[in-house]
Amino acid sequence: MILLVPEHVAGKLRPSARELVAAARTLSALGECQALLLGPGASAAAVELAAFGVTAHHCEDAGYEPFKADVWTSAVAAAATQIGAKAVIVPATRGGLSYGPRVAVRLNAGLLEDVIEVETDGTTVGAKRFSYLSRVTESVRSAGLPVVISVKVNVLAPAEPSGTPGSVSAIVLPIDPATQRIEIVSQSKASTGGVALDEATIVVTGGRGVGSPEGFTRLVEPLAGCLNAAVGATRAVVDAGWRPYSDQVGQTGKSVAPNVYVALAVSGAVQHLSGMNRSKVIVAINKDKDAPIFKVADYGIVGDVNEVVPELLKVLGKQ
Amino acid sequence: MKICTVLKQVPDAEASIRTAGDRVDLTGVTFVMDGMDEYGVEEAIRLREAGHQAEIFTLALGPKRFEEAIRTSLALGSDRAIHIETTDVLDVVTQARVLAAAVRQEGADLVLVGGKQADWDSSAFGPALAEALGWPHLDWTTRLAITGTAVEATHDTDAGTETVRFSLPAVITTQQGLNEPRYPTLPNIMKAKRKELRKAVPADYQAPAPLTQVGGEVIQVKARLNKLFTGEAVETAAQLVGALRDEAKVI
Amino acid sequence: MLNFDLTPEQKEIHRLARQFTAEQIIPRAAEWDRTETFPKDMVKAAADIGLLNIGIPEDCGGLGLGVIEEVLIGEELGYGCMGFDTIILASDLAVTPIKIAGTPEQKQRFLPPLVTGLGAFCLSEADNGSDAAAMKTKAEFVGDEIVVTGTKMWITNGGVCEIYVVLCRTDEASGAKGTVCVVIPAGTPGVSHNKLHGKMGQRCSYTAEVIFENVRVPRANMLGGVGDGFKIAMRTLDRTRITVAAGSVGVARRAIDESVKYAKTRHAFGKPISELQAIQFKLADMKMGHDTSRLQTLYAAWLVDTNQPHAQASAIAKCRASDVAFAAAAEAIQIHGGYGYMNDFPVEKLLRDVKLNMIYEGTNEIQRVVVGRSLFR
Repeated sequence: MILLVPEHVAGKLRPSARELVAAARTLSALGECQALLLGPGASAAAVELAAFGVTAHHCEDAGYEPFKADVWTSAVAAAATQIGAKAVIVPATRGGLSYGPRVAVRLNAGLLEDVIEVETDGTTVGAKRFSYLSRVTESVRSAGLPVVISVKVNVLAPAEPSGTPGSVSAIVLPIDPATQRIEIVSQSKASTGGVALDEATIVVTGGRGVGSPEGFTRLVEPLAGCLNAAVGATRAVVDAGWRPYSDQVGQTGKSVAPNVYVALAVSGAVQHLSGMNRSKVIVAINKDKDAPIFKVADYGIVGDVNEVVPELLKVLGKQ
Repeated sequence: MKICTVLKQVPDAEASIRTAGDRVDLTGVTFVMDGMDEYGVEEAIRLREAGHQAEIFTLALGPKRFEEAIRTSLALGSDRAIHIETTDVLDVVTQARVLAAAVRQEGADLVLVGGKQADWDSSAFGPALAEALGWPHLDWTTRLAITGTAVEATHDTDAGTETVRFSLPAVITTQQGLNEPRYPTLPNIMKAKRKELRKAVPADYQAPAPLTQVGGEVIQVKARLNKLFTGEAVETAAQLVGALRDEAKVI
Repeated sequence: MLNFDLTPEQKEIHRLARQFTAEQIIPRAAEWDRTETFPKDMVKAAADIGLLNIGIPEDCGGLGLGVIEEVLIGEELGYGCMGFDTIILASDLAVTPIKIAGTPEQKQRFLPPLVTGLGAFCLSEADNGSDAAAMKTKAEFVGDEIVVTGTKMWITNGGVCEIYVVLCRTDEASGAKGTVCVVIPAGTPGVSHNKLHGKMGQRCSYTAEVIFENVRVPRANMLGGVGDGFKIAMRTLDRTRITVAAGSVGVARRAIDESVKYAKTRHAFGKPISELQAIQFKLADMKMGHDTSRLQTLYAAWLVDTNQPHAQASAIAKCRASDVAFAAAAEAIQIHGGYGYMNDFPVEKLLRDVKLNMIYEGTNEIQRVVVGRSLFR
């Protein structure tokens, strides 16, 4: 058995769900694919998931939202034990990266974290993942089974619906009060609007060289709007308080691999590159010709973003 | 309050990573304390400076060269250290199991550790350690306030930030912005000479057999075009758009 | 038993100095140079982490560290900015005479403020540098006091220090035999200074003409006795010129690193210039000079720390390291071509800065006198 734990929002599956299904299909030698969906909207998401041939279990208990690592750990570990899962597959989101390792320890399972490829020989699972700040691709292999796998988002080709739909059923997973150890006092969802960073096909990131929050409003946002792109930020920009943390791309922020990554006044520190160096095409604009970003750029302009970006907007506007 | 800081050494971010055969070759590479762990050491010291009667000890699991980073933590303010020395490359979950046994043996109320390891590119250690200890964990922590055993903290989530409350004992992993690490001062570097640095081996903690192994490592190479447009902004902008549209065909 | 290892503490200190330099000094050095700014806040930051006057004995509140540690710090600070390094090493020129010639009471009185403050050593005058014994600044014994009158020139930290250690002549005898060494606290009436402007390099280091007009200090401020001044000064320089050598070593290494970086990215005739033998030979020479002068510098430091005679070894280190560094800086400019001549690249500053290393703390000509003479003893 394989257990998937896809994420959903407002009753709709997140795009990463189809990537989990793709991973599960590659591992079909480990058995039938089942899924666990937790929280309000789970039943609708389960129906959507069933179209992919997955047996989808849903638990609409409101206690599963907002996300709490302890609560999800218990539910996922219990479900995995219940169905005798040989593999538990979760998305490598903050949530998945938080409860996945806990589940692995609880099940005494190997952990294959943030993987970009999986395969199995029936008794072990192998995977490819990045290391050394995304500079190295390493092959890892579990010693046996079960395994917990977190799948890097936006990498695997999403699965298509299958011929035979799977079944949908409700599952009872009461929340043990002992798992409610962390009380959430407040949440702030940074909504800068626009396209979501980890789902964008084009990303326009501003670095410290943009100069100010006003520079973002004047240069970065219009260019992103023009290209229907998401806006990203470097660590320095977030540290300066110009953009929220959820915009951050890099080692301690998000990892993205869009079709086009435009780096405006970004110097190109290794920690930032580790979050975007898999982008298909990288464009860099920086007035410092020695900036490390130019080493990884396909196309670069040595120039001041204050001069170049308005010209780009003019050219793009004419198209 | 007993605070445990866990740290490791990783290659300096500016170091060139090479492979020899199918493995990363670290000869000649400069190593530094993982920057994310630095935030943990700094936070432990700040908690003590804020008035908590804290004993701080450092735990590290790794080869002999980790001693440098351990000594730095002693110079920064940790009271003593335990170096579990091994040349084995242990997966993150196995690391967590060994260190959980060490934490249990030493006793601690709080474990501070980096939110992501810069060599494994992994954020699993903190959560796995917490599970092995049976404690809650908080990851990507940007603000921490402790009164007695009551913790209030802020951390990053996928959607934004969250403020939470919970009780010690707990594992807290760091995020940039938690604090600004200090320099070790020369007087403290000299004082650290007299602090205890105890050696141990994984077998002392019933180290389990690793559950995953690394098979091979390959430098991730993506050849880039490195095409540079120079000149007046009017020209370069037009050239860039043309290239993206007609050559790369991405817009 | 020959051992080239550093102790774990020495490695830590070395690492700290390198980190501090990379994070605090290198980003600011060009600006200080452009504006001739004495970086008071950065000197305080260095003092706060314990990098200042590390040779002050522990019983005077210092760290009691040796010249090897000073060399490790000096080569890193010199790598970042030789001007800044000079601020730090020149302060040791005030500490050292007190250490070698001061009574326990004098050490307790004069050294503690230098744990966090700078000192200045006043030997040279407008009309005498190498010919130190020909100094004109006068010390007169009047009752219980010494009255100092004269003008000293080229004084690093003059005007921004806590104490001056001043070499004067008396009427007792002429030449070296009549000299005394007197400690004068800053703020003593009659002490004034004029900052010198227009230096070629090391422009963040505060250099002044210091004027003593009937400055009165207690007789108890004299280090050693009458006639000891010149000796104290020479013994001081025998030691402190080792840290000058260390700064030169740092400059040479910077010249190499910048040139390697540039040569990898600069293309000519279809390939990076790093592949051209001419460039490789220049860098090889720079590297050979750096490594050998570094070892000589550490050797001289080791001799001091193990209480062995070191005058010849330190003269060799100071002279060779500065000659090497100056040549390396010139070659670094050459490797950079036209860009090397521009001040938005860091290499032209290296040349302007390190030229002084061939002149101060005993010119390289004087170093040759020291070494040459020592061969015939």
